[in-house]
Amino acid sequence: MPHSIRRLASRRQLLFAAPAAVFLTIFAIYPLLQLMRMSVSDVTVSTLNDPWQYSGLENFQTDFASPAFGETVLNTVIFVTIVTLLGLAGGLGAAILLSKSGRWTGFILGLLVFIWALPPVVNGSVWKFLLGSSGLFNSIGLETGLTTQPIPFLFDDSIALYSVALVNAWAVIPFNALVFRASIMGISPEVFEAARMDGASRWEEIRHIIVPVVKPTTLVLLVLTVVYGFRSFDFIYVMTFGGPGVATTTLPFLGYIQAFVRFDFGLGAATAVIAVAMVIVLAVLYARSVRREEANS
Amino acid sequence: MTNHSSPRRRSAALAAAAFATGALVIAGCTPDNGDASDAASGSSDSGTQTITVWHYFSDDNQVKVMDDYKDLFEANNEGATVENVFVPYDQLNSRLITGASTETGPDVVVFNGADASTLALGDVLAPIDDYWADFADAGQFPESVVHSLDGSAYAVQGYVNLLGLWYNADILAEVGVEPPTSIDELNSALDKVVAAGYSGITLSGLPNSQGEWQGYPWMSAFGFNYDDPQVQPLTDAFSMIQNWTDSGALTAEAVTWDQTVPFQTFAAGNVAFAENGNWQMGTAAATADFEYGVVPLPVGETGQVYLGGEGEGIGAFSQNPDLAWKYLSETYFSTEGQLIAADVVGSIPARADAAQDDAVTSNALLDAFATSIDSNGANYPSPAIAPESVADQQLEVGQVWSSVIGGQLTPDAAAEQVVTALAGLK
Repeated sequence: MPHSIRRLASRRQLLFAAPAAVFLTIFAIYPLLQLMRMSVSDVTVSTLNDPWQYSGLENFQTDFASPAFGETVLNTVIFVTIVTLLGLAGGLGAAILLSKSGRWTGFILGLLVFIWALPPVVNGSVWKFLLGSSGLFNSIGLETGLTTQPIPFLFDDSIALYSVALVNAWAVIPFNALVFRASIMGISPEVFEAARMDGASRWEEIRHIIVPVVKPTTLVLLVLTVVYGFRSFDFIYVMTFGGPGVATTTLPFLGYIQAFVRFDFGLGAATAVIAVAMVIVLAVLYARSVRREEANS
Repeated sequence: MTNHSSPRRRSAALAAAAFATGALVIAGCTPDNGDASDAASGSSDSGTQTITVWHYFSDDNQVKVMDDYKDLFEANNEGATVENVFVPYDQLNSRLITGASTETGPDVVVFNGADASTLALGDVLAPIDDYWADFADAGQFPESVVHSLDGSAYAVQGYVNLLGLWYNADILAEVGVEPPTSIDELNSALDKVVAAGYSGITLSGLPNSQGEWQGYPWMSAFGFNYDDPQVQPLTDAFSMIQNWTDSGALTAEAVTWDQTVPFQTFAAGNVAFAENGNWQMGTAAATADFEYGVVPLPVGETGQVYLGGEGEGIGAFSQNPDLAWKYLSETYFSTEGQLIAADVVGSIPARADAAQDDAVTSNALLDAFATSIDSNGANYPSPAIAPESVADQQLEVGQVWSSVIGGQLTPDAAAEQVVTALAGLK
């Protein structure tokens, strides 16, 4: 190809990429830069509309010095771990069950999409009701004699975080199941047929055929689910408002409280920057895994 | 008064929007309410004038008052339209403040009176000094319901709301106790109703300003106050609360309840007492299928009950502040308007003449609240807290209150945490 034509093609590619670049600059890069600037400034309700005073690392120091900050980071780690493990295991399990076409497959797939598409606020409100003292789960437990007292799912500080994390994991299972199922459906039926002719059990099919095939997908979903768990906010907001006390407060919720309840925007921005830093690490991992997968394929 | 406008407002607006975008990317989206974003500021076209009124009322009776005010104002002002816009309580302040950075907002704001300073500092409210000075009936209002900052008035409360002790008369009659007039009597009554198989009391333990509002009367009952915060009174108060949760008189589930849920639970009929407000009168009449009454919260001589209620002000970016003031003066600040609120939700009028009306004085339930105002009424928020620290104080104390009810902190540790947090406020 002549040099001039190649250059023209290259310019055309840049032209096509320009709208996305502009969009990203306005809605991703600029806000992130402003967020960082705010995190090193003293910005409160009375100074939001004035020139921001540079305050160095004071907001970060305030965060790290707060007794609740360590607990919040620990809550975040526990929360993300539960959401990730259950989200992936549940998603893979559901995908394996739904990988064979059956009478109810279409209905269940539709149900999964419905659950996935439900707004978290609605989802969280329903679960708050279900997990209440007089909710469905406690009613069943009491009626059947499994428990003698209502289980304090959302108001005992030792289990409230796990309850909200379980609900969050439940909400991400449909997405993971749909992606896993797409991956499993890509396996040729002849492979399973050959395995069965060799006497493989269903468990051996899963272990030696399905699991190796979905491994790259698992890696991608692992990163996406970790990020999902890390930025979860809605369910906490609706179900516990971070309580009792700060028992279910995670980093994103702490940032919200600091910025939009205490109106210390600088402090909230500092917390958000810490959270962003963690998400960026995960984003890099995600980018690498995608690149590796593309290279392998 | 500091002038918070600046040539860099546009830059700040962009930055605030950017921060909101960034925060939402991290935090996920907060619950959305499409109404408010589309209904900021008034408009005037085709000979009609519209004013928008932002509020956070979700209770049917409180919404009815808003609708009645709209009807009243539109009937008296041909061509004028009132648009009531609901914004969830937790989101109202943040929406107003971030809106102010882009110079948008409603014509009229109905908000938690305790947040008046925060909203004034955030440039959300317009000063109403001139309107108030020209208002012929201003003398009817006590000074305590006028919210000022740095010498300028920004909002006025059309009525006073406060907490009382609602009781289920049927349950009390069954267990043979009288409505309590002291902490000891209350504790004794709780023991008896719990022994009889009933729940004792409902209240809110939400870890935010609602929790602090509900917790303060019990804290102050043991001698705590914000002028001179001490550990021991708090320890005593928190010990009593944990005795309630340990005995089953109070469910720890209260930490997930705002102020509406505990009253609904009380109104269902299996609870002896509810710490709740006069604004629940309409709900009680509509839903409670039993005999009920109200006595002042039995918090003794040192106990303080916040005199709260909603502040009403004019938005700083209202396109029609004169009409907004006209709306306020003909509804919230008029005798007729205040009697509507008293009748529908049981609000206690701020106007002296409305408070003396038969509709108010002949109401036995309102009388209990009026007694409480005289004996234990306290400014809300406490004047001991600097305006810029009110949000911090409410959150810190609300979180500890929640921890106490949830059993996360011992009374000693909780008391220490409150005193330490208060000492660290600006």
